[in-house]
Amino acid sequence: MAPSAAFHGRRLNRRVLMALAEVAVPVIAIALWWVLSATSTSLYFPPLSKIMTSFRNIWLFSHVGSDVVPSLENLAAGFAIATTAGIVLGMALGLLPILSDALAPAVEFLRAVPGVALLPAALLLLGIGPGMKISLIAYGTVWPILLNTIDGVRGIDPVVVEVASSYRMRRRDRLVRIILPAASPQIVAGMRTALSIGITVIIFSEMIGSTNGIGFQILSAERSFDVPGMWAGIVLLGILGYLLNLAFRGFESYVLRWHRGMRQLARG
Amino acid sequence: MTAAGLQRRSGARSSRARIANRAAATLLALALWQIAVVSGVVSAAAVATPTDIVRAAGSVVASSAFGAALLETIASWALGLLVSLLIAIPIGLALGSSDLAYRMSRFTIDFLRTIPPVALIPLMLLLYGATPKMAFVLIVFGSTWPVLLQAMYGVHQVDPAARDVARAYRLRRRDRIRSLILPSAAPFIATGIRLAATISLLLAIGAELLGGAPGIGAAITLQEQNGDIPQMWVYVVLSAALGVIVNLALIGLERRILTWHPAQRSMVAA
Repeated sequence: MAPSAAFHGRRLNRRVLMALAEVAVPVIAIALWWVLSATSTSLYFPPLSKIMTSFRNIWLFSHVGSDVVPSLENLAAGFAIATTAGIVLGMALGLLPILSDALAPAVEFLRAVPGVALLPAALLLLGIGPGMKISLIAYGTVWPILLNTIDGVRGIDPVVVEVASSYRMRRRDRLVRIILPAASPQIVAGMRTALSIGITVIIFSEMIGSTNGIGFQILSAERSFDVPGMWAGIVLLGILGYLLNLAFRGFESYVLRWHRGMRQLARG
Repeated sequence: MTAAGLQRRSGARSSRARIANRAAATLLALALWQIAVVSGVVSAAAVATPTDIVRAAGSVVASSAFGAALLETIASWALGLLVSLLIAIPIGLALGSSDLAYRMSRFTIDFLRTIPPVALIPLMLLLYGATPKMAFVLIVFGSTWPVLLQAMYGVHQVDPAARDVARAYRLRRRDRIRSLILPSAAPFIATGIRLAATISLLLAIGAELLGGAPGIGAAITLQEQNGDIPQMWVYVVLSAALGVIVNLALIGLERRILTWHPAQRSMVAA
């Protein structure tokens, strides 16, 4: 028993050390930034303390309601539209190989249109406002979800599909209980790519023809030479981006919890 | 007639049918686009019809601004991508080969890579103005992360048994890198390069459109301000065409270079 306890102790020590190592670099980096920039007189790289003051003044919490919430709402709406459309169309195309093959060139081309290149046209078409941003986000994020859903549906073990049809499962049950779950690891991977694209699209759509949002705040801080304010916006985006990724990882491990178990089982 | 011959013929017929299907679907999509604009469902003040775009393409391609814009975009794209590969691959391989370094850098890289590069456009504008240099720095910042992460991940995934064998045979460091680490990490790095190539193109056009650096993106804004919608769409289509070409070229290259890799082999077999 004693050796086992010692073993566990060492393992625990090792784990704590590893966790410390993971935290050490960012802590050291921030400390270095703080110290090295403290006496900075550069217009473009102000002291971190100034950035933090700006951050507190702008983002805690006077501009949260006017800028952060609209950005996140538009992101959520666009992402929700893209996810729904991507999964529904992707399942349809995945089950109809002839159709998806015929549409492949059109999809390849549409997917390659950079969202940012459509920004002027979207502004002319939909004007300034949430509608334009939501449409642009939906357009930018739908492709990875669509293509991954098609791949996921195609990749299902044919035996599973045959068993389902030999049990005469109804079409709806087959779609919801067999095909959708089997394709879900791929779908979720597509959603993860889509999320980071969505964050990019929301920022640039706020940089042209917008009157609020995080991207608008960063750009207008730059235009009024409020450099610490601009940096504060960038820091906020880093934090928000990281939190969104973290939240998505939580969602992923919840939705795919059965999948991880299966993989561990298969590995033995 | 031999069975193989039969199979070949039916293969040719099905591939011909496939091309016909694809052409029909593409034409149908273009026709729907045309109808949507002509009928007024989509405002003609914002979206040009395919026929107008084709008509405008002639004069755009003939103009001197076209060649210059295309060259500027390709130059900043290629240079930015190349430099980010030169930075990311060695650092990624180094960080990935040590367990401690992998752990230490994971969080920081995860954090930095979630900052959308477009958020840095205002900073780049302050530092460099609306110049190609601004686009270049932005591209390097944006496309270094995916390659770096993939390289780290690739080295980290080297088969432990193979690593032990290399150690048991006391392979020299150089040989170990060349014949164990690089081949195992190559497919991961290839995926990273493909991601980075798409991101670089997006950032090149974004920097030009939002920041005014010369290139296709700036041409889109210019035509929009001139109110010449068909010409604006010529440049939008051009940016998409570049994206398609980059993607196809990289997939082809990947398949050629990594022919030995099981993932590629099974892809060819399927």
